[in-house]
Amino acid sequence: MRRSMLALRGVGVSFGGVHVLDHVDLDVGEGEIRGIIGPNGAGKTTLLNVICGIHRPDTGQVVLDGEVVTGLKPSTIARRGIGRTFQTSQLFKGMTVLENLMCGLHRKTVTGLFAAGLGLPSCREEEERTEEAARLALEFVGMAQFADRPGHQLSFGQQRVVEIARTLISEPKVVLLDEPAVGLSLNRLSEFDLLLRRIRDDKGVTLVLIEHVIRLVMDVCDEVTVLNSGQIIADGKPEAVRNDPDVIEAYLGKELRARHSAS
Amino acid sequence: MPLSFLRRRNVMLALVLVAALLPLGANPYHLFVANLIFIYILLSVGLNLLLGYAGQLAFANAAMFGIGAYGTGLLQVHFGWPFLIAFPAGALIATAVGLTLALPALRLSGLYLALSTLAFAQFTQWVFLHWEGVTFGAGGFKTPQVSFAPLPVDHRHGLYYLSLVIMVAMVWFAGNIVTSRIGRAFITVRDSEVAAESLGVDLLRYKALAFGLSAFYAGIAGGLYSQMLNFVSPEGYDLFQMVLQKAMVVVGGLGSIAGSVLGAGTIVLVLEGLREFKGAQEVVFGAMLLVFIIFMRGGIVSVIRRHVPGWEEPLHRAGALPPAEPPTSLPLAPPAQERGVS
Repeated sequence: MRRSMLALRGVGVSFGGVHVLDHVDLDVGEGEIRGIIGPNGAGKTTLLNVICGIHRPDTGQVVLDGEVVTGLKPSTIARRGIGRTFQTSQLFKGMTVLENLMCGLHRKTVTGLFAAGLGLPSCREEEERTEEAARLALEFVGMAQFADRPGHQLSFGQQRVVEIARTLISEPKVVLLDEPAVGLSLNRLSEFDLLLRRIRDDKGVTLVLIEHVIRLVMDVCDEVTVLNSGQIIADGKPEAVRNDPDVIEAYLGKELRARHSAS
Repeated sequence: MPLSFLRRRNVMLALVLVAALLPLGANPYHLFVANLIFIYILLSVGLNLLLGYAGQLAFANAAMFGIGAYGTGLLQVHFGWPFLIAFPAGALIATAVGLTLALPALRLSGLYLALSTLAFAQFTQWVFLHWEGVTFGAGGFKTPQVSFAPLPVDHRHGLYYLSLVIMVAMVWFAGNIVTSRIGRAFITVRDSEVAAESLGVDLLRYKALAFGLSAFYAGIAGGLYSQMLNFVSPEGYDLFQMVLQKAMVVVGGLGSIAGSVLGAGTIVLVLEGLREFKGAQEVVFGAMLLVFIIFMRGGIVSVIRRHVPGWEEPLHRAGALPPAEPPTSLPLAPPAQERGVS
């Protein structure tokens, strides 16, 4: 068993009496790629929001690398080493791709107001290191040629990759990806598989991804967790989860039934 | 490029040079207008940090300007402090007030922030008007002239060069800020608060920094203004003053330091130029705002950028490393990349 990198212990969240998450326990090992799947409204995005501190859970704890991070501010949790991407592109407008990546290093840089305003050597030196790290991270994801392009000129899929690079640049322990493959064409999916594996193997980053593209989840994830109505109904290797009758009923079954009624 | 000698740096240096030599051939009115421009440059650059970079729609900058002026003037009048001590102290009072305004900004945004800061500004006006024992009420008060004694300059020229030096230093400071991690953090707060936090940017810290910085710029401007007029009264710091400052930022270009310099200069010159024609000031000022809001959203600086090279304002220290390859020759979407389907 791998060392636990990210754990949820009995996490419950309710909005106005509706239990969005109900005593969720989750254990993600170091260097693991964990997929979280489930039908719409199962609570997947809420789960990510609890981990990164946007929602405070009503019950339970979030443990990152042995430290309880429940109740900390999102920016503090980010500084402890959790990066994330969002369902919609969150690149900063009016910034180039390179400058977007430089923002990713915010939590690892220290230049203060006066050093920055006076352009002290310490500031210039840190700025150079930041730019170099940004170029390396862009190279890692294969987007080096876009460095000086405004972020909004990239295609949707390219923006997602830039956002992933922006989280990687600060060497986080865990990266949460909320539907990263939205907007990727089928022939790009295998490249994306490869990128996720390289992030795990070369950078040693633990990945948690919510995904609707089942093929990606089945191909790349070490473990898959299935969420339905705020509860975990299955947890295990992709093949095992795929054949679990509860999962077929709750998730795949529903989809098939929907397809039947549509035709 | 035929126009490349007009790049931003050269134009700014030339403007500073003209400003430094202006007293040689200018009459007192010209000096007054130039000094006024320096003060409005401080105001609009500070406001742009808050509004254009950090994206906080606040309406308290005129009040901060007033607090700087009143602070500087009242410390001289009531406590007999010399200007050169009362002036920074007044600016620090404005900064402290500005910092506290960041607290509501943590919870409010957009129109709600605009309204609450507007309410604060009106409250400040009320204090200027009605706390007569301290502020001398609606009639205002005279402030003593600073003497630049050991230096061989009179009050007008001394204040002119003091304003010029402070203005150049603070514009340079702001230019450095926006090309650093701090300026980029402001923009992350403006564009997406959740994304900013996910990168470890502390919202309270950076909103407070933006409010504090803009208040400091306004406070410094207020101190200089009180000394230029040697008179302080409430109506100089009212809602119209706020509209004037916002107009300078918008006309110059949101999120551009050079734009704020040009916006402040343009509006002061236009208003002063129309001083002789009764009623024309308001009409032209309103028409200018309309034209810029409808046809030139990016302000003066975006028009210049379209025609003259070297006016881009990157958000990092350009040239720290040589660029990997020229960015111009690349096609927009290389065939290897997927097409976005969303």
